[in-house]
Amino acid sequence: MRYGRILAGELHKAATLPAVWGGVAGALLGALAVTLLNSVAARAALENGRAEAWGSTSPFENAYAAMPLTVVGAVVLGVVVISSEYTANRADAGGGRQIATTLTVTPYRIQVLAAKAITVVVGVMVIAPATLLVTVGLARLVIGGGAETVSVTAAVTRCLGGTLYATLTGLIAFAVTVLTRSGILPLLVLIMNSTLVSGSLLLTKLTPLAHWLPDLAGRRLFGGLDTVDGGLAPLPGAIVMSGWTLALLVIAGAVFSRRDA
Amino acid sequence: MLLIDQVVKRRGSRTVLDRVTFAARPGRVTAFLGPNGAGKSSTLRILLGIDRADQGRALIGGRPYRSLREPLRTVGAMLDGVGAHRSRTAWSHLAWIARTHGIPRRRVREVLEQVGLAGHAGVRVGRYSLGMGQRLGLAAALLGEPEVLVLDEPVNGLDPEGIRWIRRLVRDHADAGGTVLLSSHLIGEVAGVADDLVIIANGRVVRTGTLAEVTAGHGDLEETFFALTGGAPGVGR
Amino acid sequence: MRVGNVILAELDKLRTLPAVLLTAVATVGAAAGIAAAFAAGDGGPGAAESVTDVTLRMVPYVQAGLVLLGSLPAAHEYADGQIRATLTAVPERGLLVAAKSVAAATAVTLTAAAATGAGAAAAALTWWRAGAPPAAGGGGGGALLGATAYLALIGLLSYAVALLVRHLIPVLVGVLSLVLIGSPLLAAVTAHARWLPDRAGSQLYAPTDPVLTAATGGLVLLVWTVAVGVGAWVRFVRADP
Repeated sequence: MRYGRILAGELHKAATLPAVWGGVAGALLGALAVTLLNSVAARAALENGRAEAWGSTSPFENAYAAMPLTVVGAVVLGVVVISSEYTANRADAGGGRQIATTLTVTPYRIQVLAAKAITVVVGVMVIAPATLLVTVGLARLVIGGGAETVSVTAAVTRCLGGTLYATLTGLIAFAVTVLTRSGILPLLVLIMNSTLVSGSLLLTKLTPLAHWLPDLAGRRLFGGLDTVDGGLAPLPGAIVMSGWTLALLVIAGAVFSRRDA
Repeated sequence: MLLIDQVVKRRGSRTVLDRVTFAARPGRVTAFLGPNGAGKSSTLRILLGIDRADQGRALIGGRPYRSLREPLRTVGAMLDGVGAHRSRTAWSHLAWIARTHGIPRRRVREVLEQVGLAGHAGVRVGRYSLGMGQRLGLAAALLGEPEVLVLDEPVNGLDPEGIRWIRRLVRDHADAGGTVLLSSHLIGEVAGVADDLVIIANGRVVRTGTLAEVTAGHGDLEETFFALTGGAPGVGR
Repeated sequence: MRVGNVILAELDKLRTLPAVLLTAVATVGAAAGIAAAFAAGDGGPGAAESVTDVTLRMVPYVQAGLVLLGSLPAAHEYADGQIRATLTAVPERGLLVAAKSVAAATAVTLTAAAATGAGAAAAALTWWRAGAPPAAGGGGGGALLGATAYLALIGLLSYAVALLVRHLIPVLVGVLSLVLIGSPLLAAVTAHARWLPDRAGSQLYAPTDPVLTAATGGLVLLVWTVAVGVGAWVRFVRADP
């Protein structure tokens, strides 16, 4: 079977899954809402001369603050692409799960998994920059382009960094969901880890080794201010995070190809 | 006695049930026959108070299901398969149902034996075969020792022994004076056990009457069925 | 039909659903672990914190477990069509929602209490083993009760959302995103963010807000829960499942 067809099948499945659109819409709308609120407040601070107190009046920064929501969207995508295979039909409709159909159509399990992973990557790499573009546009509209303090190069670099982080996180969510067959645990853990109540951050209090965990290793990909000391610089961090992602994908692939569907 | 009276149900722009009217009398097995998508399950869901009719009424002994104080002691229903969560055991599933009505645990054991699941009571429902799931659904229907049985495609997935068992159960229940409403699209099964027939197609009742009345002039039940439902409109729905 | 029976049946359902027990145990375990981690990280002679202070710091983490636990009683009904079995057994929907709510409230309250208790015990144990006596005071029992109330109410809010929405994943993503991401972001923008359910509720154990007290904060969270609950109740009673 030609690989292009397998990939096309998976892309089509994802594009026709309501949960995917729900996640995308939620992340986009959330990011827009956050950007709008931030921008309005920044503009008010500018006009009242309290720009210093607000923090940053740069449209880019105010839009970029919504990146955690984009990461959540990536996690939802990574989870749903595989958990949808395991959602059982009602018993009266045969109680079957889509995974049986998928594997009968395409028995080459690694290729199926790879196609799904590529779908996640494509999805995040399209949606993350698009979201950022739209939100920065909105922020510039509200605040005005003159208050920009972030150079174009820096903005593009940080956009790429954030997209890479979101993509890797989405892939980690995907790999873990393949292993657990249920999206609940990866959703819980990964959403929490992209916020202030991050379990990984907690672990850094116990041991500096925690800085090698994927989400902490990669956090400097976002650029901007550093709020937590210690840990890896952006490039080594990206490599470590990619390493984790690759390892989890390999484990997921090995388990998936051996076990009963 | 069950009464469906001029029931209309619309879903979006589709009229799923169009003035459906029939009765199921005590002491008789009433078979509700129709192609896939004809409206059998929709009618039963309205009868059991799960969905709401847009017009008309569905009564059990003169009262709507939702007004029955302890419905399971009056009506035993088996709808669309199991209705048990897959990570629960059969025993736990029946136990919580029994608890809502204050039915003692002893009765749970009895029905499990009656349907032949006593040895699988501690197994998670998710691992049940289709036939085992059907038996569990039936066990839930029998818990309250009801006088009315409403069964939606009860022989679906059962092996020959199971099919014969259901036929006996249904027959004995009616002979003892109970009411049985049994929906199916398996003509052979229905022919062997039904007293009265209600044939539905495209949301409309096309014929009611006793088995003899309905098949008069058409030969056997299968001929009658296709003649009245105009071919096989269910295919492809 | 006796109300007591229906409530007991709903409790039976929770008791026999493996996911419920697993989540409750994991939440309590996490509470203990996280509190111990905080205690170990910041303890030592001269530590300025009491057991209560350290325990309270685990609350924002542990609330995720309560969010999951709270959404299970309603969400699991819509998997595998169990809702049909439930509605045929108890067709009186108002009664059903009431009983289910009581059962859900029981489950989240017990878990919240156990989590807070386990957290406090773990923190105290960690310090005791390190030989460092913790500072006294710091709010004491009142704050711990407030933390329990907060966790229980957040779980109840999740329950209401799940009853309305009926699918587990959107509830989890939605509530967690609101509480963990939306809330801090909004708080940085406007002081009115204090009226968000989790912000107001946090006054129950960390009363720092000038406008809301612990009691009024808890009340705001309760009002949010009731508001969503009413919407869920209306949908459940009037609409087809």
